Amino acid sequence: MSNGAWALPEELKMLRDTARRFMQNDVKPAEDRAPHDACELPVADLAPLQKKARDLGLWCYRTPTEYGGAGLDLLGQAVIAEEASKCRMGAYIPACGAFGADPPNAIWLGNRDQIERFGIPAVERGQKVFVAISEPSGGADPARGIRTRAEHRGGRYVLNGSKMWISGAGSADWGLLFARTGAQGERGGITCFIIDGNPKGLTKRRIGVIRAWSPYELHLEDVEVPVENRLGEEGQGFQLCEKWLVEGRVPYAAACVGIAQAALELAMDWARQREAFGSKLADKQAIQWMIADSEMELRAARLLVWQAAWTAALGGDLKTDASVAKVVATETAGRVVDRCVQIFGGLGVAQEMPLERWYREMRIKRIGEGPSEVHRMVLARTLLGGKGRR
Amino acid sequence: MKLLVPVKRVVDYNVKVRVKADGTGVETANVKMSMNPFDEIAVEEAVRLKEKGVATEIVAVSCGPTACQEQIRTALAMGADRGILVEHDGVLEPLAVAKLLKALVAKENPELVILGKQAIDDDMNATGQMLAALLGWAQGTFASKVEKDGDKLKVTREVDGGLETVSLKLPAIVTTDLRLNEPRYASLPNIMKARKKPIENVKPADLGVDVTPRLTVLKVEEPAKRQAGKKVGSVQELVDKLRNEAKVI
Ligand SMILES: Cc1cc2nc3c(=O)[nH]c(=O)nc-3n(C[C@H](O)[C@H](O)[C@H](O)COP(=O)(O)OP(=O)(O)OC[C@H]3O[C@@H](n4cnc5c(N)ncnc54)[C@H](O)[C@@H]3O)c2cc1C
Repeated sequence: MSNGAWALPEELKMLRDTARRFMQNDVKPAEDRAPHDACELPVADLAPLQKKARDLGLWCYRTPTEYGGAGLDLLGQAVIAEEASKCRMGAYIPACGAFGADPPNAIWLGNRDQIERFGIPAVERGQKVFVAISEPSGGADPARGIRTRAEHRGGRYVLNGSKMWISGAGSADWGLLFARTGAQGERGGITCFIIDGNPKGLTKRRIGVIRAWSPYELHLEDVEVPVENRLGEEGQGFQLCEKWLVEGRVPYAAACVGIAQAALELAMDWARQREAFGSKLADKQAIQWMIADSEMELRAARLLVWQAAWTAALGGDLKTDASVAKVVATETAGRVVDRCVQIFGGLGVAQEMPLERWYREMRIKRIGEGPSEVHRMVLARTLLGGKGRR
Repeated sequence: MKLLVPVKRVVDYNVKVRVKADGTGVETANVKMSMNPFDEIAVEEAVRLKEKGVATEIVAVSCGPTACQEQIRTALAMGADRGILVEHDGVLEPLAVAKLLKALVAKENPELVILGKQAIDDDMNATGQMLAALLGWAQGTFASKVEKDGDKLKVTREVDGGLETVSLKLPAIVTTDLRLNEPRYASLPNIMKARKKPIENVKPADLGVDVTPRLTVLKVEEPAKRQAGKKVGSVQELVDKLRNEAKVI
């Protein structure tokens, strides 16, 4: 019987240690040689890191073991994601890619043939995969926003429309794309398709944004997708999309906590060394409060992330908990990194420090994976008892 | 060949150690604790000997509070086969630890004990040598290379100004230096396997060892602060300062 006391399981602490050391001793030296805004390491650096990560059992740690991943549960994912983000490119490229890239979990809900043709090779070969939900008509409300149409014609679907802000689409081996097979505006009218490579009629345009890793606009003109590349049934798209988004929010939020923690540690080191007006920054109350506030807020955010994972393990309502964790962690990380930039002064915004990059990239975290407003709206509706209530 | 590898729980090497306000020791409350890095090297060496087929079983031992189980678990996750915790809450001096280890050697009959050359907390550099003396065994300290050589052990030692190679009769004691190997990280599969490996719990009294401290710590202080450097404007000024301020020429 538990007395209600709770600590991180011993095995996870050990695994966290392993991940921490790997990041510090193996990943960091390789990243230090790369340019400030690099989004990948040269193969000569990356290949040995990936080999080592595979040996350590950290390869594709979010993917079930039966498909070649490490199969960590959400708590394990949160703990490792927090460490893996602690590098300059870590906001969007955890561990500089050393742990591989988990394909979107919705693929594991596909049939055996799809899992074998797309899911498993993505894990084995470290392929890149995109997920295209958002459109020029709006990403916050995909159920209404999705306009891209898929028409069933004979043994295939024909897709027309555009997708916006699609991460990783430039070099992806395949991707999941959500298109409308039913009436405009209905959730049940959305279907998920696997886009294999670069089919005829698909064009991609890079969109420069505040982060180093550019997303893409996709334009689809009579793109043909064979029926066997439809994931799930017609109309199941929204459900598949939610599974990916909701579970993904836990490591997403944890990664933000990791970056903010790394920023705070840098800022504390600096505050202990830097002098102004005859004493160390660490001795100034204004700085002490920034550090204390950051620590308090980070602890709260981390516990909310862990709580979401815990809720999932107990079979509870992950959706709400994941939203709470996502909003708190991303907003906290933004504030903490901002304070750390302030503590560093000019160096905080110099492209010689990871802070400059983290500061820019943290800004997106409140927009992507469901903007803060939408999570707040959904939470409030849950609390207040639904949209129709007056 | 059975190996015994003692592992000590110490303040993590990344933590900036702070002296307690009352000068009685260093702050360990709310501080990350880890396995002594030299002991990690010892565990790694033992595991490599096992992988080479030289060692048959590795027993990891830690002496200290219940929490030392964490360090034993880490050793098990690196590849040790089982653990022994000698549970004791108070201070354990090197001589007490050496006596506890001697008692365990009598119980376990290992042919080789591999220890870290020192622990990074008190830097005593004594336990291995004391254990060798108590047992009357050969010792190869500060090892940078360990090889089985027939029924002997060839140990390369890092000594001032070079390397010394000694041939030890077994059973023997080896203490590890920094360059012996690079310890592996515990992998996920091995962490999961370590969960099932047994840890035996004993008390100093069970081993018939009196661990009462014999040393008294008078005071613990921070090292003196380094003085800030100075820039000199000319060679003349440098020579003048070396002669009159530093008084080295
Ligand atoms: C760098 C980057 C990478 C991205 N990667 C991907 C990707 O890989 N795949 C993908 O599908 N999408 C991706 N996105 C898209 C992202 O999910 C959307 O930007 C996001 O969902 C918001 O959609 P929108 O930009 O169309 O804004 P809109 O939907 O137009 O919303 C604009 C603003 O209105 C607010 N708002 C909306 N509804 C309400 C409401 N009810 N009450 C109050 N405020 C509201 C929103 O919160 C937001 O602040 C990415 C975006 C960026 C910036």
